Amino acid sequence: MHETTKPRNKPIITKLLLIFGLAILLCAEGYFGYQLQQLSEQQEQIKEDYSNINNISSGLFSVEQWRDKVSAIVSHQIRDFTLSPKQKKELQKEVEVVIIALIDKAEALINKPKKTIDGKIKKFIVKTFVNTDNFREKAPSFAKEIIAKVYNPSNKKQLSKVVMSKFDALERAEYLDSAVAATKAANEKVFKKYGASSNEELNEKLISSLSRIRTETYNYSFAMLGCIVIVLSLWWILRKRVDLHAPLFIMSLMFAFMLLFIGLTASMIEVDARIKSVDFVLLGEHVIFENQVLFFQSKSILDVVKVLIAQPAVDAILVGVLILIFSILFPVMKLSATGIHLLSKKKIARNKIIRYFAFQSGKWSMADVIVIAILMVYIGLNGLLDSQLKSLNIKSDDLNVITTNNTALQPGFIIFISFVLYGLILSTILKFISPHESH
Amino acid sequence: MKATRKTVLPNILLLAGLSLLLCGEAWFGYRVSTLSSQQQEIKTDYSVVNNITFGILSVDQWREKMVAVVDGKVKEFDMTAGQKKELQKKVEKQLNQLVDKAVADVNKPQKSIGGKLKKLAFNAVVDPEEIKAEVPTFAATIVTRINKPASKKRLKSIINSKVDQLENETFDNTEPASARVTRHVYKKYKVSNTKDFEKKINLQLTHIETLMYNYTYAMIGCVLLALGLWLLLKKQVRLHTTLYILSLLFAFVLLLVGVTATIIEVDARIESLNFTLLSEKLAFTNQVLFFQSKSITGIISSLVDQPKPDAVLVGILILLFVIILPVLRMMGKGILIWGREKYAENKLVRFLALDLGKWDMADVMVVGIAMTYIGLNGILQSQLSSLNIQEELLSTVTKNNTSLQPGYYIFVAYVVYVSILSLILKRLKPIEK
Repeated sequence: MHETTKPRNKPIITKLLLIFGLAILLCAEGYFGYQLQQLSEQQEQIKEDYSNINNISSGLFSVEQWRDKVSAIVSHQIRDFTLSPKQKKELQKEVEVVIIALIDKAEALINKPKKTIDGKIKKFIVKTFVNTDNFREKAPSFAKEIIAKVYNPSNKKQLSKVVMSKFDALERAEYLDSAVAATKAANEKVFKKYGASSNEELNEKLISSLSRIRTETYNYSFAMLGCIVIVLSLWWILRKRVDLHAPLFIMSLMFAFMLLFIGLTASMIEVDARIKSVDFVLLGEHVIFENQVLFFQSKSILDVVKVLIAQPAVDAILVGVLILIFSILFPVMKLSATGIHLLSKKKIARNKIIRYFAFQSGKWSMADVIVIAILMVYIGLNGLLDSQLKSLNIKSDDLNVITTNNTALQPGFIIFISFVLYGLILSTILKFISPHESH
Repeated sequence: MKATRKTVLPNILLLAGLSLLLCGEAWFGYRVSTLSSQQQEIKTDYSVVNNITFGILSVDQWREKMVAVVDGKVKEFDMTAGQKKELQKKVEKQLNQLVDKAVADVNKPQKSIGGKLKKLAFNAVVDPEEIKAEVPTFAATIVTRINKPASKKRLKSIINSKVDQLENETFDNTEPASARVTRHVYKKYKVSNTKDFEKKINLQLTHIETLMYNYTYAMIGCVLLALGLWLLLKKQVRLHTTLYILSLLFAFVLLLVGVTATIIEVDARIESLNFTLLSEKLAFTNQVLFFQSKSITGIISSLVDQPKPDAVLVGILILLFVIILPVLRMMGKGILIWGREKYAENKLVRFLALDLGKWDMADVMVVGIAMTYIGLNGILQSQLSSLNIQEELLSTVTKNNTSLQPGYYIFVAYVVYVSILSLILKRLKPIEK
């Protein structure tokens, strides 16, 4: 008031400069945030495709896959069907016994007293010409012949042909064909989308683009954090310039809103549950299923809320609503309250609710951070079996272990934490610069 | 002189009494902490031995069960009258075909004289119809012959040896691993078979659980006693300093136990899976799908142990906000109430004691844990219930044993107790506000 025009002019220019500079920074932050969100959406899409392609239902639980593997096993089993010498001997003995029994029966039939002359003559002829003992002696060689006949390669080939044709008929069951066609069409579509021709190629592509996206998202999120650090260091630099505090604070609030928005919508946690490999020998045939994905998704905090609200249990829905309150309602109220507190008259500023939200509510957003962190530890770091096996020196690679080890936190989480911390720092700053607080 | 002695004596008495109580609380807390880690260890061992990897996901297990079914089927195989009839019919058909073929062979136009003679003789002597009439008796002979015990035994041994051969061609790597794990764990618990193991584990777990809850109640009882003293000594202003500092120590013990004892235990199992194969039941019981049990310090250490920097950061933040800051705050309050002017007016001490509330997130942690528990429980419940199948051939029963553990209740007690202490502090030092 008492100053001359010149110094009075200067603050306005600096103020404008400050606002202008910060606005540019804000735009930069907005751009980074936008990129981050786009990338995170893209990532979600890729993950969905990846888990569709590698899903357990198109691997271990797929009838089609098993059909191929089982048909190989069956044909192998029939073609290479062998009896050990001992088994052969036993079988031969059995056939022999049956033959002898038949000869006995025939003899008994012939020896039955015949009434007709015709019959009597027949009996006579047979008795003179046929020596049954001779036949009995020959029984072992008959048996051998029969078995050899059944067992010879051409017969086996024929048998396997018959079985395989039956099997093929079974394979061609109609419902199966339609299901297979549907999955195939879906896979083709994905292949086309990524310009890949085989599963391996597609997986390679997807994984490489996922890792590219990961680095990019981290870069963008660090850039966003960089903007925040610049704003906070501006506070440090301008801590003596009381006149600039109000615009600086309002601009800082804008930054906070931006962080909040990105933190809510960008993916926060990546849940990855899979069976590394299922590897066993089935009837002499090696069966391998690799990388069976049970679940592979990234979720933003809003997605977590959606999942919880979709649960049938009331308490889960309640938790979903609570997270929503802590992650959206509280922060928005808090940011608005800080703004109102700074700009409005003393009476409103000292309102209990405004003061609570401005100074005390910030930490409750941390509840979400804690929830996600605990979830991550409980779901993600389930290396229980792995570590136990390791302590016993057992390699877990060739066991069918369900792992969730690749579950990880995502950039959205960092952004959200930064928002919470930034908000807490802002309310501390507010306490110092507020005209309505005694300090 | 007299007056000072009067204050000193009750002070010492109070100090001694409360120290005793504090020792009691610390002892109970120690027991809760050790019992909970013991419980965690037992349950971990149990869930490793009963892990789904060594059960439903193990080909070796399936093979054993299937072979047992097939062996049983072969052993008890006996032809029913109906089956015998069926077999007889089949044999008859084959024999009839054989006769037809033989007759056709003989009746083929013969060129040689010998062949023609044979044909004549055959036709003269043999009447195909007559032979066919005898076919059923021959077939009956074959069927009864095969069904004689000696023959049956022989055939069964052939089939059994074939099944064994196929069995040897089917395997994965779980069996050696499972055997080793089981041996290791059984040795640890000094048991020799599954039944004893289950029995021993269940016995120990129920024992530990009751003990742990008793100790938890005892701890909370101690704290309530300490609070009761505040009511009793409301008027004894001189004793308040000692009482307050000792009360802070109580809170410290609560915090220590609250962060080291297990808070949430997640335990998802397939209680039983029944599968009907060849009208025999195959059963897997108690398959642990998922087990995890952690204390707050456990959560922090597993976050910090992660290779990824963001997880480490979160771990450090939780450590800072939930353990370190509360401890600092208590120390600040203690120094403030100690009343030495030099320290009490110190800016840092005042900041620690009074302004740090916003950053002390123990209360947020309580809400966060409760939310996690309910959310996790709800998700698991619905996931598991979708695994419940009741069909003729396949039935599964899943169980979700997720529960809050004493560590959580103690932590809640800590938070409540500390907020009461803060209220008391405000009353004691109204000027400081």
